Parts: sequence; structure tokens; C-alpha cells
Amino acid sequence: MTQTIENASPGLWALAWRRLRADRIAMASLAVVLLFLLSVLLSATGLVAADWEDEVAVNYAPPTFVGPDPALAALGRPSAPTPPNAFDPLAADIAGLKAELARHGHAAQAVKAATLPFGADKWGHDIVKKTIKGGQTSIVVGLIAALVAVALGTLFGAVSGFYGGKVDDLFNWFYSIFTSIPSILMILTVAAVLQTKGVLTIVLILGLTGWTGPYRLIRAEYIKHKAREYVMAADAIGASGWRRMFSHILPNVSHVALVQMSILVVGFIKAEVILSFLGFGVPVGVVSWGSMLNEAQNELILGKWWQLAAAASAMALLVTAFSLFADALRDALDPKLK
Amino acid sequence: MTFDQPLLEVRDLRVSFRIDKKRSFEAVKGISFSLPKNATVALVGESGSGKSVSSLAVMGLLPVETTIMHEGSSIRFDGRELLGQSIEARRKLCGKDIAMIFQEPMSSLNPVFTVGFQIGEVLRQHLGMDKRQARARTLELLDEVGIPDPANKIDAYPSQMSGGQQQRVMIAMAIACEPRLLIADEPTTALDVTIQKQIMELIARLQKKHQMSVLFITHDLGLVGEIADRVIVMRHGEVREEGDAAQVLGQPRDAYTRALLHCRPRLDERPVRLPVIDDVLSGRYSPEIVLPQRSRGYAPADDNLLVVEGLQKSFWLREGLFGKREFKAVKDVSFTLPRGKTLGVVGESGSGKTTVGLTLLRLHRASGGSALFEGRDLLAMSDREYQAYKRRIQIIFQNPYASLNPRFTVGQILLEPMRIHRIGANDAERVEHAHYLLRRVGLPEQAFHRYPHEFSGGQRQRIAIARCLTMKPEILVCDESVSALDVSVQAQVLNLLQDLQDEYRMSYIFISHDLSVVKYISDRVMVMHHGSVVEMADSDELYRNPRHPYTQTLLNAIPRGA
Amino acid sequence: MVAYILRRLWQMLPTMAGVVVLVFVLFNWVGGDPSYLLAGKMADAQAIANIRTQLGLDQPWYVQLGIFVKQILTFDFGNAWSTGEPVSHILSTRLGPSLTVLVPLTVLETLIGIALALAIAFVRGSLTDRLVMIACTVGMSISILVYIIVFQYGLAYKLGLFPVQGWGDHFLENLLRYATLPILIGLTVSVAPTLRLFRSFVLDEVGQDYVRTARAKGLSERRIVWVHVLRNAAIPIITYVMANLPALLIGAFLLERFFGIPGIGREVILAVERSDFPVIKAITVYVAAATMVFNLLADLMYQAVDPRVQLK
Repeated sequence: MTQTIENASPGLWALAWRRLRADRIAMASLAVVLLFLLSVLLSATGLVAADWEDEVAVNYAPPTFVGPDPALAALGRPSAPTPPNAFDPLAADIAGLKAELARHGHAAQAVKAATLPFGADKWGHDIVKKTIKGGQTSIVVGLIAALVAVALGTLFGAVSGFYGGKVDDLFNWFYSIFTSIPSILMILTVAAVLQTKGVLTIVLILGLTGWTGPYRLIRAEYIKHKAREYVMAADAIGASGWRRMFSHILPNVSHVALVQMSILVVGFIKAEVILSFLGFGVPVGVVSWGSMLNEAQNELILGKWWQLAAAASAMALLVTAFSLFADALRDALDPKLK
Repeated sequence: MTFDQPLLEVRDLRVSFRIDKKRSFEAVKGISFSLPKNATVALVGESGSGKSVSSLAVMGLLPVETTIMHEGSSIRFDGRELLGQSIEARRKLCGKDIAMIFQEPMSSLNPVFTVGFQIGEVLRQHLGMDKRQARARTLELLDEVGIPDPANKIDAYPSQMSGGQQQRVMIAMAIACEPRLLIADEPTTALDVTIQKQIMELIARLQKKHQMSVLFITHDLGLVGEIADRVIVMRHGEVREEGDAAQVLGQPRDAYTRALLHCRPRLDERPVRLPVIDDVLSGRYSPEIVLPQRSRGYAPADDNLLVVEGLQKSFWLREGLFGKREFKAVKDVSFTLPRGKTLGVVGESGSGKTTVGLTLLRLHRASGGSALFEGRDLLAMSDREYQAYKRRIQIIFQNPYASLNPRFTVGQILLEPMRIHRIGANDAERVEHAHYLLRRVGLPEQAFHRYPHEFSGGQRQRIAIARCLTMKPEILVCDESVSALDVSVQAQVLNLLQDLQDEYRMSYIFISHDLSVVKYISDRVMVMHHGSVVEMADSDELYRNPRHPYTQTLLNAIPRGA
Repeated sequence: MVAYILRRLWQMLPTMAGVVVLVFVLFNWVGGDPSYLLAGKMADAQAIANIRTQLGLDQPWYVQLGIFVKQILTFDFGNAWSTGEPVSHILSTRLGPSLTVLVPLTVLETLIGIALALAIAFVRGSLTDRLVMIACTVGMSISILVYIIVFQYGLAYKLGLFPVQGWGDHFLENLLRYATLPILIGLTVSVAPTLRLFRSFVLDEVGQDYVRTARAKGLSERRIVWVHVLRNAAIPIITYVMANLPALLIGAFLLERFFGIPGIGREVILAVERSDFPVIKAITVYVAAATMVFNLLADLMYQAVDPRVQLK
């Protein structure tokens, strides 16, 4: 009566990974996402783009592949040292200052580049460095806010769906309050009320308003699973409520939370960009893709399109790759196939 | 000669399904059979036999993207080759010359259109009728299939009808254009046994009246004896036997057919062990062998383990502005359960039998009554007090695919109850015990590290049984535990349950709608209808002398094999 | 049915109360003392104290809450802090322009979404399907800001096909001249997510058993998709569109801002920029109320189109 079974069966995650590996688009997207994450890491630790604020080029310097703008070329060259003027009362002091500076290693007015790999903005900042630094801001905000929102939503949803009753009523009340105000309005309202600006503020705003999506889904999953026989069986064998909620149901629901998180990361990156564009996001002096788009708006009329192109394409590339990977991940985890 | 030409002739049909870019799975491995005109042919097979795939191939309903129809396959309908024709050409036949009805009538009907619209659609499409003609003809059809009050029901939505009525509507839709061939794919499997009988009779009547051929697909060989002229038996994508019904059911030539016939519990005997497929295929068993019989029944000397008195369970449904309506699922159920004996609980859907089991285990909170176990009322205890009793009364659920956590390995599933109830001194002992139990229920050692999705339905039920055994319960509630299993596997699991009862002296509460299985395994049988107990007697006595009219109806509805 | 509506309205009260409390807490507690903002940079203590009395900020919190509730019920929030215009006037005049853009946008977006989703359903699983889905993903990954900037620059500024900004006095002129480019951009941005969502609704239906029955009846694939599937897919589509309407009011804020359309969305941004609390409070509370009402309407419509559902 004994039957044979082949090799040890893999669990959900191992199976999903196998499916992902076979999907070329998924792997390519994953590579792109990892590349961006790497740039975030390098940028955050200061290894790259730390000097983005240096004005290293002429204002509005075009990208290298376009070629220098003759109208601006003249600005790049260091001005010829004015011959000492006999009538200049400060001449001697200035000469002394310059000698001091030279002693401390500062070259007399560095040469400003006429072109940069992807051009410069109004003040001569390197667009490539700004894009990387801006990416750091936008991606970090997106990731952390998504993490906060999913963590809150999962916790509330699990407790609400599993225990039901008054606890469920309470959380549902919160949910209906938060969802009756459109999220953009909610975000803008909180931004209006909180006078302090900063990355932490945005993360909190997005995270504390974004928990509703995961909450609804996780709650529905918990209600569904609670009625399933394997949970009733766990109850029958004596598993406590806590145990059923976390050891039994959570592993069956975690893939939903993961997919939710990937969707939220995309949404929050886009939201941060809009917020920073409007001026409600990062403070002045911090660069994000949103602030770059803000500047680009005026530059376009002058015919300078490179900052717009850089920010837009970097963001599009990341979001596309992330979305494609998230879709592939969801398909790979889909337990319906079982 | 032309009048002998079969209506449907299938030759060397081979169908595979693409699983992914590289692999495919052969569902039908080159079968041939034929259907004569004006006859009922039963196509019998268990899950995975390929019977449904074959019928869908005839209709042209297999999914285009994943189906591979191999060269050399041929399906001829009335002399014309169907395979190779365009989709449009085949669609023209569907609903008109060949019609099909399916297993789940609720989901097979479009929920947003009325019944009249859906039937009328076929008439307008194929016969070119206009709205008025279609409506008139629809009324006639509804009447013919036995729908009461057709004038009102014609404008009803499927969700407003019962399962039996929905299936009648499906049949009306199918015969509307007087097809020459009606394919019925497990049409009664999802219905209660009393409704099942009515639908079978309806199909037989319509077959004679309209002189059409019926291809009746089912997993239950015992069902077809009353209606089939010819029987085809399939297994694993191959035809094992084909012939006249009398011959196949009376003198089957193929070992598998014999196994299908003999592995089911019968009403007139109760062998100590049911023969299983392997026994039949290897020749260890044949019908002439007289098996030792087991007698069952309650004895006066029995020591009562569980005494249930006045059990009630109500569910509350919202009604009106603020009100609630009470739905009594279980109304005043009382019974006793002695040690080492089995109480069978039988009834149709909605009878409350499953609720009784769940309430006894306190998975539902009872609305009233008592359940005395060793003198203490299980239903009145607090949760903390009950915790100590949990291991002593356990349950096996119906759906083997849902009762095991898909994220736990079999080992984790078996170790968990032992850890919770602190059985065994340490994990090493528990693992040892788990391995022992796996052997005991007939599963290999490696199963310990596998996940449930690697196992078949029967194997999963055995894992569930092993899980219960870790706690050595005294009472085991089997809630339709073998209903979802194939006949061949059912026998194995029933034998296992019997062995365990003999060895551990467990008491069973065996809940099922399948009367033959219940009679086989039970000492006493309790018949439930709409939440109440209508009759209770020792199993032999009940089947010999049913007293309540409902019991009599139930027993009359049992299909006789041959 | 009436019982259902009454019960729902009754259930809305605690939510509405919660919104009122939330807005109150946000503005009166978390938000800083606005009297400093209003008094200007050089104000002296007396001026600030006057403003506080004027705004009622020196009253205990429950009195302030009472005033707030009264304002909501009487639609009278006083005047906007920055412009002095009565808030109720602001709300009533800005609604029109917003709707002039939103109504055509929603109608077109839904119809186009349905048509495309059904068309895609015919070729599901094929290369075309996958390419279209990838195109949607790429389209959705470009910020709406980029669409607006590029379209405004290209079509309006450079090519002069549409006015760059502005709004007129007459409805028809607004609809045909000023609203066209914003609506066009809105459609471009929304076609990808709408198509994805509607496609998933349609595909869910195509996989159902009743489609198999329809094929068994011999119906053409076209009839099956356009009659049987559409009718079923319409259920989630309608509920989705209905439930999303109030959010659209605010969601068009970027379009309004870029194109100088005097709508509710743009008003919100201006109010936030100027810390004009009464305007923000009023809009938040009324939009929340509108959302709840629309959710109820969505549920009623759901019952009307799905015969399986019986609301009690």
C-alpha cells in the first residue's frame, strides 16, 4: 500500500524563485532595480554624487552628445586677470587674498565645463549627479513609506480579520474615515498642517495615509482563511488564536503583503515626485526627481530639455522595471496554480 | 449498412495539454469508441481518467492555447469528420445537433440574465425564431423538464432557483433544438441523492421521447445500471472496457472494471475488509470468494462514552432595518455513542449534519443542549477547561485539499499537535512517533519533508488521519471524510479507519450523504432532515425496515448497480 | 430597499463624526497657531491677540468643536484667510469648472477603457496582449507631470493647437476650447491603468463556467464577449467608476494648476500654499461626505445590475 514519491518538494518561495528565474523579463527588471538600489546605497553613503551641489559647469551647459553652446562658451573661460589698476584702492588687498588662497591650495577660479555627460542646470550643477542624488531621495522615501504602510496595514488587517467583532468595528471605523478623504487631499492637508518639511515628514505622511489599501486586502484574506478547514483543524488540535494568526495564516498571506508593498513603492515614488514638485515635499536644498521636474518646467521654454529628460527617464526606467518585476513576482507566487 | 452507422465514432483520439514551454501532459492516450443512434451510453471513469476531456473534444470546447490534438485522431459525427473543421463550423453544430450539460448548474448559467433569455437565445440563434416564438417555445420546454409554474419562472434569475431546478433549466437549454446527441458531464454529482434520481429519470424520459443519443459521463459505475444501454470504462486516459451494459456490469472482462464494481460498499453485505483495486487487479479477490462478514450494532452492555442531549445551533441573519432572523440549523438532536462503536449521521445538504459535528468540537458555539463526556458537559466548559479535552475528540474534514496548511511540511503538521499537548518528552521522540504514524497510515518515510500539494486526495486524508492519531483521540468525527475521494481510494481509507478503530478502540461519528458507505461503517444510523433527527436505529435494522417516510425516500433513491 | 438606505445613512454618522474630529484635531491641535501667520511678519502682540479672538481660538476646545460643526451644517465657514472671499462662494463657483473637465473625462475614459479591454480579451495570451500590457506598464511609469509638461509645451506652446492656459466665461467655450487639452492629457494618462484594471475584470469573466456553456450553445465568440461577458464585467466596472468619482475631483488638481482652470483641485493647492485653513477644512469635510454618499450610490447601483445580490 505504500507509494513512492520523488525528491523533496520545495516550499512556496523556492518554487516562486524557480519560476522567476525562467522568466527573462523578470530577471532583466530585477537587474535594473538592483542597479538603482546600488546607486541609492552608493549615494547615501556619500561615495557617489556627494558633491552634486558644486557648480562645475556653465549655467545650462548642454549634454556632451549635443555639443557646447557657443552662446555660453564665453562664460566658461576663467576671466582674464584684470591688470592691477593704479586707481583701485583695494588692489593690494585683493592681491594679498589671492596669494593666501593660493597658499591654501585653492586654484584661482576653476575652469567651468562647457558640456557635461547629461548637461547642467541653471546653476551649473551636474545633471547626472543630481539624478542619482534625487533618485536616492525618491527611492528611499518610496521604500520606507511603503514598508510603514504595509506593516501597519498587515497588523491591523490581521487583527481585524481574525478577531472580528468590536475590534473589527473599530478598525473599520478608522478605515472608513481615512478612505472617505481622497488620499491626495489627505496628504495635502497633512502637509498644510505640518509646517516642518523634510524626508521624514513625507515618509510619515505617506505611510500613515497609505495603510488602508493593504489593510483591506489583508483583512479580506484573514477572513477567508479563518473559515478554511486547515485553520479549523488547527483550532481543533488546540492551537491558540495567536498561533493560528501568525504561524498558520500569515505564511499563507505574506505573498499578498509583498505584492502590495511593491505596488505601494511605485505609487509612493510617484507621489513623492508630485509633492516635491509642488513644493510640499523635500525642503529647499535637497534634490529629488520632483524638484528637478519643477526646475525643468521653466527650462523647457528656454529650450533646455536635458534636466526634464534625465529625471523623467530615470524615473520611468525604475518604475517600469519595478512594475514588471512586481507583476512577475505576483504571477510566480500565485497559489492558484496549486 | 447505413442504419447501423454509429452516430458518433471516435478513433485514436489523443489529446495532450501544454504545461509550460517544454512539458506537456497526455490526458487521452489514443482511445476509440462509438455511440449508436437512439441509445444511452455511459462513460465511466475516476478523476484523471480523461472522460471529461474526451467529451469536450467532441464539442470542440477544449482551450485552444494549451491543447494539442495529435495527428491521426478522428471524431466522426453522423459520418462527418469534426476535427480539422473551423471553429465557426463546429460552433454551428453546438447547441443544435450536439448539446452538453455540465456538473455545476449554478456556475454554468449566466447569473445576470433570466432563465427565459438564456433558453430563448439558443432558439433564436439556431432556429431563427423571433422573440415571441422563442418565449412560447421556452414555456413549453420549461414545462417539459418539470419546472413548476413556468409562466413565472421564465423571468427568474438562476440565483433564485434551487440546484435541481437549475439543472432542469440547463437540460431545457440543451434539448431546445432537438439535438441528436446530448452529452451530460456528471450532471447529478453536485445534487442531493433524491434530486439525482429525478434528474436521471428526466434524462431517460427525454431520450426516449426525442429519440436522441445520450453520452452520460460519471465516476459512479453503480449509477448507470438503470439508464445505460452501453458502458465504456476509462482509466488514465485509456479505454479499459466497452460493451453492453448488462455484460459490463454483470460479467466484466477487465480487472479494473471489476475493481470499480467490487470496491464500493454494498447494501447487502458487510465484509470485514473492503477489497481494494490492488486486490482485484492482482487476483487476490474475485466475486466468488466469500468474505468474512462483520456484524454491527449497539449492544446493551456498551459503555457510553458520549451522551448528547438536546443539541441546538442557530445562526442569525439580518433582516429589515435593525432586526435579526433566526435560522435553526440544528434543532434538538440527541444520541449516545459507546466506546469503540460508530454512529452514522446521514442526510442531504442543509440537514444540519455537518453542523452537529462542528458544534460538538466547539468549532461553532452551540445554542443549547449538552454533551456529556465522562460525566462532564463539554459544551458548558470554559475555553481553558476545554483545552485539556481537545486532544480527546478530533475531526477529519471533507476537503482533503483544504484541511492541511499548504505552507507546512507534513512533518510540521504532525509535530504541531504533539508540541501543543506536550506529547513525548522531546522533539526527537515526537519525530520518531511521527514516522511511526506515517508508516501506520501507509505513507512513505520521505513524506515527512514534503508539502501537501505533492500528495493526492487520498494521501492527504491519510495525513489528516495521522495528525489526529498523534493525540490518540477517543472520539473521531469524520465529516464527509471519504466523499471527495475516488471509489478506489475510498475503500482504502475506509479500511484504514476500520483497522484503527479495531486497534485503538476509537468511537466514530461518521457524517455522510452516501448511504452505502454509512451502512457499511456504522453500528447505528441517525437520519437528519432540516435540522431534526427523523429516525435512529441500528444500521441493519434501518436499511431493512425504514419507518419514517423521509428515510424511505432516501433509501429508494439509492441507485441500484445492475 | 428603503430600510437598507436608512441603515446605511445611519451607519455613515459615526464615520462623518470621525472625519470631523480628525480634521478638527489636525487643524486645531497639530497645526500651529495660525494667528501668527495671519498677522504677518511685523505684527505686535495686540494684533495677534485680536486675530485670536476673531477666530475664536481663545475659546476652550469643545466650544471650538461646536463652532466647527455648526459651520459644516450651515455651509458657512466664513471667509478665506488669504483672499477674504466667502468660503461657500469659493466652493460653489469652483465646482463648475472642475466638472466641465471631469465629466467628459470620466465618460470618455470609461468607454475607451471598456472598448479596449474587450478588444484585448479576444487576443488574450497572445504576443499582442503581452506587448500591450508592457506598453501600459511603461506608460504608467512616466510621471503625470512629464505628460503635462511635454504636452503643454509641444501641443500648446510650440504648435499652438490649444491655448496654453486659461478659462473663459461661457460653458461651451470652456468645454471646447480650454478643456480639450487637459481632457486629452487626462485620457492619455488614464488609459493605461484603466485598461489594465478593466482587462482583469473581463478576463475574470472569460474564465467562468457560463462562458463554456455559451460556447456549448453554439454562440459566436463575438456575441459571447459583447453580450455575456460585458454584462457581467459591467458590475465591477460600474462600482469602480462610481466609487472613484469623488477622488477624481481632487485628482485633477495638477491639470487645473497647470492650465489655470479655477477648479476645486487648484483651490486646494492654493489653500495649502497659503495655509488657508478654512478653505482646506471645508473642502475636506464636504468631499468626505460626497465620498460616502457616492459609495452608497455605488452599492445601490451594484444591486441594480447584479441580480444575485439582495441588499437587506
